[in-house]
Amino acid sequence: MNKFMMVLASCCLAASALASSEVKLDTVKVGVDASTVGRGVEAMMSDCHSCHSMKYIKYRDLVSLGVDSKKVDEWRGDQPLDAALMAQMPEADAMAAYGSAPPDLSLMAKAREGGANYVYSYLLGYYTTPDGTTHNHIFPATKMPDILGMSNAKEAAERTAIQSKARDIVSYLVWASDPHAQERQSLGYYVMGYLFVLTLMLYFVKNQIWAKLK
Amino acid sequence: MPHRIINWIDQRFPLTSFVKHELTGYPTPRNLSYWWNFGFLAGFVLMLQVATGIFLAMHYKADVALSFDSIQHIMRDVNYGWLLRYLHSTGASAFFFVIFIHMARTLYYGSYRAPRELLWWTGQGLLLLLMGTAFMGYLLPWGQMSFWGATVITNLFRATPFIGDEVVIWLRGDYTVGDATLTRFFALHYLFPFLIIGAVIVHLVALHTVKSSNPSGINLQDKDNIPFHPYFTIKDLYGLGLFLMLYSVFVFFMPDSLIEPANNIPANPMVTPNHIVPEWYFLPFYAILRSVPNMVGGVVAMGVSVLIFAFMPYLDRSRIPGGAHYRPMFRGLFYFFAIDMGVLGYIGYIPPTDQSILIGQVATFIYFTLFLLLPFLSKFEERWLMKRGLTPEIEALIASEAKEISEKRSKR
Amino acid sequence: MVTEALNDGDRRNFLIKLTSVVGGAGVAATCVPFVASMNPSSDVLAKAETEVDLTNITPGGMHTVAWQGKPVFILHRTPEQIKASTESNGGLQPEADSNRVQKPEWLVVIGVCTHMGCVPNKEGPGWECHCHGSQYDDSGRVIRGPAPKNLEVPPYRFVADNKIVIGKA
Repeated sequence: MNKFMMVLASCCLAASALASSEVKLDTVKVGVDASTVGRGVEAMMSDCHSCHSMKYIKYRDLVSLGVDSKKVDEWRGDQPLDAALMAQMPEADAMAAYGSAPPDLSLMAKAREGGANYVYSYLLGYYTTPDGTTHNHIFPATKMPDILGMSNAKEAAERTAIQSKARDIVSYLVWASDPHAQERQSLGYYVMGYLFVLTLMLYFVKNQIWAKLK
Repeated sequence: MPHRIINWIDQRFPLTSFVKHELTGYPTPRNLSYWWNFGFLAGFVLMLQVATGIFLAMHYKADVALSFDSIQHIMRDVNYGWLLRYLHSTGASAFFFVIFIHMARTLYYGSYRAPRELLWWTGQGLLLLLMGTAFMGYLLPWGQMSFWGATVITNLFRATPFIGDEVVIWLRGDYTVGDATLTRFFALHYLFPFLIIGAVIVHLVALHTVKSSNPSGINLQDKDNIPFHPYFTIKDLYGLGLFLMLYSVFVFFMPDSLIEPANNIPANPMVTPNHIVPEWYFLPFYAILRSVPNMVGGVVAMGVSVLIFAFMPYLDRSRIPGGAHYRPMFRGLFYFFAIDMGVLGYIGYIPPTDQSILIGQVATFIYFTLFLLLPFLSKFEERWLMKRGLTPEIEALIASEAKEISEKRSKR
Repeated sequence: MVTEALNDGDRRNFLIKLTSVVGGAGVAATCVPFVASMNPSSDVLAKAETEVDLTNITPGGMHTVAWQGKPVFILHRTPEQIKASTESNGGLQPEADSNRVQKPEWLVVIGVCTHMGCVPNKEGPGWECHCHGSQYDDSGRVIRGPAPKNLEVPPYRFVADNKIVIGKA
């Protein structure tokens, strides 16, 4: 037991040590409600899908998520409902334009240290230097332009709007990275409740049986 | 009717007597603490891993072009596929968690001592099989961490004298970890659990020959044994309930905490992630590997660090019963070792720096030194305890064991 | 070994019985995800319905689409074909053409011969199955054996003038 606790404790220490040595990420409270995720879908469709794909998400997944099926029909055009959400720009063109293929975003919310916070901080991490070029705090080597326009946003209202849009997008990405997360957690509460009751009963049975031993 | 069926079987196969002798009526020391629950838990996790693994294999595809996608297919499309996958991936950690406690208990209470050497060694074999199975299973999702973990570990075999490079290529079936490697790892990952089941049976046969150890550290007299059923069946089930609660917290609420983020990126042989780490259960051994500046030396040190446990029955020369319980020096050594394991685990996790390498080297040195000091320390401790005078409690234990041995001898 | 504490009274104990029932229910519930995982996954179920755009099928032309892994023939019938089909009631299994179509110009049938499951070929008016020589007319009705039944009409509905969804009526 001690051995494991030590390893566990050391992992926690290591994680905190690592985090402190890197750029500090903003924390985002991810929305799980259909409206937030739905807004994220729309933002992704208009701002991201020209370059990025979501190959593990199908149009039918959007319908079952509760997105208006008329909008889904509009986005998919003549593709079947079972088609995956692919980038509009062929990968070769993207390579030519940016020098690297834009990554698939289906698992992005899970594929970086920091998860949702990383993506959120990255989207908002753009800034303009005095010489007029745009850079990113979180991922300096990024090839992606500042899509949400954070580097040019001066007014507080504008920045807040961009932040809330980033939150919508991140919420959608979190859903996409693990579509069954809600189902998993709600099932988890039942399982924990059941196990608690069963274990309690086993505890009483155990006491009863052992009490007979002199 | 059931009675007649059992009668029919008993005339042809020793069913009832087997169940009576080895299961329900198996004489078990009544003073076992909850630390003795973990053998049963290990068996349970093994069955859980086999069951979830077989059902996952119905959907998994061992092909570099398909495996990553097939995992996502399981996670998204297969009915309850996410549950099966998280049960399995969390189950791997649970298995090591349980096994490490099982081993720590054996070390603490000196359960490896005569006549339980073979029991301990079959357990060592099980640990090696488990490590192999876990390592091969980790390649199957074909993520970045899978790929680079397998690359690093197969490269360890370059330390083989004379034919190192050939051995590595033979293991992989390719110049790098590739399609051939993935397919054979899948085949073996499916096979190994059945070898483990076989080894578990050997482990249990050995256990039932020498009987369970117990916290007193001596063999109890027969009057202190109680039948396994119902006393330990219910105790094991109660322990299982507690274990399942902890396990379910991970499965349902934080399953990704045990999966490295980089493993959600498909394997890319052209780019190594900045920070590659093995799963938490390999970290101390990985730290030992990194601490030795020489490649061959590191591999040997890592191998020895796992295998050295097998020498415990000979390294520990004390005759004082009760494991660490009645032995203050050995107890100190045990906790010091546990802390050292923790330090090694931490060093294995963080990216190497000059400072961390130095700490790792010191911890590695301590790791082996503790084992090498044990023969002298245990003998010294025994003499010291004898000289100081044993407590009546220990004297009574030794006396009762002596009595039991002489009784057995006279019976013969 | 201490054994006297064991007696059969234990078995009738209510708490033990209740715990066994609760535990057994848990084991049974645990089996559900394992069994369910062997049922068709959601991507397979998505194939339960197939959407077909009819725009590009010219009169007299036929289009074959896969629906639940089976071929479905979509025939854009010309006025002559409609006339021929409505005038007769078929052969071995008489049925009015109007029962077999939702719009007279569109015939939708499963392209699996009702005899031994081969896929018939479009030949002349109707289809001919090359396995055993069965013949069907332009309404998919069997007019020569050995096939016993007309080609099956799958459930489908028009979601637009030129779009149908096969799989649900």
